[in-house]
Amino acid sequence: MSLVAAQITKRFRDVTAVDDLSFTVHRGSLFGFLGPNGAGKTTTMRVVLNIIRPDEGQVTWNGTPINRLGRGFFGYLPEERGLYPKMRVAEHLEFLGRIHGLDKRKARIETERWIERFELGDLRQKRIEELSKGNQQKVQTIGTMLHDPELLILDEPFSGLDPVNTALLKEVLVEAHQRGKTIIFSSHRMDQVEEICEDIALIDHGRLVLHGNLRQIKRSMGRQILRISLEGDQGFWAKLPGLELLSSRADYQEFRLGERVDPNHVLREAMRAGQVIHFELVEPSLDQIFVEKVGGQR
Amino acid sequence: MSLIPVLVKREFTSRVKGPAYIITTILGVVVFIALSFLPPLMERISQSLLPAEIELVVFEQPGEPSILPYLQQAGDEREGFSVYADPDLSESDAYRMVLEQGLSGLLLVDGPLYTLVTPDASNIMVNDEVENILNLAVSRRNAVRLGLSDEDMASLFRPVDLRVREISPLGEDGEELDSAAHTQSMVLAYFLLFMIYMALIMYGNMVASGVAEEKSSRIMEVMVSTVRPVELMLGKIIGVGSLGLLQYFIWIGTGLVMNSMGRAGAIAALLGSSGQLSSIPLDIVMWFGLYFILGYFFYASIFAAAGALVSRVEEVSQVVSIIMMLIIVGFFAAYISFLNPNSTLAVVTSLVPFTAPMVMFARIVLGSPGLIEVIASVLIMLVSVFLGAWFSGKIYSIGILLYGKRPTLRQVIRLVRN
Repeated sequence: MSLVAAQITKRFRDVTAVDDLSFTVHRGSLFGFLGPNGAGKTTTMRVVLNIIRPDEGQVTWNGTPINRLGRGFFGYLPEERGLYPKMRVAEHLEFLGRIHGLDKRKARIETERWIERFELGDLRQKRIEELSKGNQQKVQTIGTMLHDPELLILDEPFSGLDPVNTALLKEVLVEAHQRGKTIIFSSHRMDQVEEICEDIALIDHGRLVLHGNLRQIKRSMGRQILRISLEGDQGFWAKLPGLELLSSRADYQEFRLGERVDPNHVLREAMRAGQVIHFELVEPSLDQIFVEKVGGQR
Repeated sequence: MSLIPVLVKREFTSRVKGPAYIITTILGVVVFIALSFLPPLMERISQSLLPAEIELVVFEQPGEPSILPYLQQAGDEREGFSVYADPDLSESDAYRMVLEQGLSGLLLVDGPLYTLVTPDASNIMVNDEVENILNLAVSRRNAVRLGLSDEDMASLFRPVDLRVREISPLGEDGEELDSAAHTQSMVLAYFLLFMIYMALIMYGNMVASGVAEEKSSRIMEVMVSTVRPVELMLGKIIGVGSLGLLQYFIWIGTGLVMNSMGRAGAIAALLGSSGQLSSIPLDIVMWFGLYFILGYFFYASIFAAAGALVSRVEEVSQVVSIIMMLIIVGFFAAYISFLNPNSTLAVVTSLVPFTAPMVMFARIVLGSPGLIEVIASVLIMLVSVFLGAWFSGKIYSIGILLYGKRPTLRQVIRLVRN
């Protein structure tokens, strides 16, 4: 049971936005869809949602083409947020529920439940245009989940939310995940992706760069990152070949190890330079993988 | 299940409470009430403008037989009219007399030349009235001079009563055309035509800017993820159209209520006048409804496509201007058809979908186009509505996700072909 995108290509005149892209999202997984700006994320999401038709390839859910899936299968939060500014909060949510296939009664019940959950009770009769950006975003996020879709596609769901609401949304997403719903979301915040996602796809220039289980991807990258905390000569590494400084923080320094560098040799050199407080070989962070995979080409 | 009812409901409820809609609806009701009051009101106004008293000083040059007795006779017949003449009075004394006593004026008579010297030359009502009386007096004097009797005079000036009867190829007896009724139906046709014209422009623009608003507020992307673009377009068109229909029912309802009140004499009694009321025949109301709906649906889908091609509401007026031109052309074609509802121009434009809703309606109200022509125009409109919706639906589906620079017409056609 999974969503399969097979060899999708989408061209806009002379620009190829998505180029022979294939990936699989397993049912019930939390899937991170990553890529730099202009990589083709939004176009891919629109193809998955059947908003635009690809020039080549197709998207299926358990073998069924997505255009045959019923209304309410998807919940979509586009990156560019938008609501009807003159409508009132509760009225708008009911409307969103209805267009996603809920009947009148169910739409009303769900609206009440979610307004309660997201603490929007005081605002239920306010017009959308009277709300703050953060609250508008809350309303729209609820609108994508109100009808309990099988597949949630969220483009940058956390941008614009304060920490309290970010935590609330994470909680809601994890909850949906536990009920077996499939969630695809994109984010620029790699720490958030790392925190919740199991699987990821990383695309650049419309092409797949990385795809698979996040833990396996990290493992396959190898323990190439060295974290050293040292009281003494911080510049000891300069004379060692094959060490590249990634970040220098107050508490530790991070290096990428060259292929033929022996970590033990580095440790000995560090001990000679001063008191070693911390020495650890770690897996690369998603942030580092991201920069390594797509950063170099720009 | 189609989502169109849900979309229509949203469209309707979010606009029906808006100030623009409420104000235009109330304004329309006021206009309809005012219209039915108009004929008796006009009568009252024209009566009130005519001064009760017209007092003239007559200053006559000797020569021709005096006009004075005939003027005095007219003065006896018409209430409030009196003439004063004194052969001893000089011309300057006569002027002074008019000014000091506040009389209507001084009538200078010199052979066939008549001059009214008055302190208020711009009061046309008085001038006309004096001219009428003078005409009567002069022709009576001439009659006496020619030795004509009163009967001769009456027969000489009796107006011709021309009756117009239309023949139909089916050999039935045509109805006699009542010229007063014809004028009234002209006024009515013009007014209703103007309403169709206004409604097409107003509601068409509402559709176009509604689509542009959905694009610029970016709600469109959420909508198309669950609703088919064609459904979205139809929801908007029907939603806005139902607002138009509601308004139409309110207005026509007002007109019909005023009609029945008029027939019962209530309005005339209210104004203390016996004047006839303008009335709206029921069949005309039905034709109006039919052509309003056909015209609206035809144009609304084009307006929707136009709205889908722009990214911001401010740009809407640029793209809809072409459509508005077509509506204006239709309005003028209908206006010209008024003069001759069966001319070639009128017949052709009543079959072209862009102009038919206005021209055919005008022809139905005024003349009697052949049944076949009416059926043809309705059928052409129905087909055009569906073709228009299909074609506009294509442009709409493409346009709604297009942002940035507005595509040219050629690009649009190429996109639709693909």
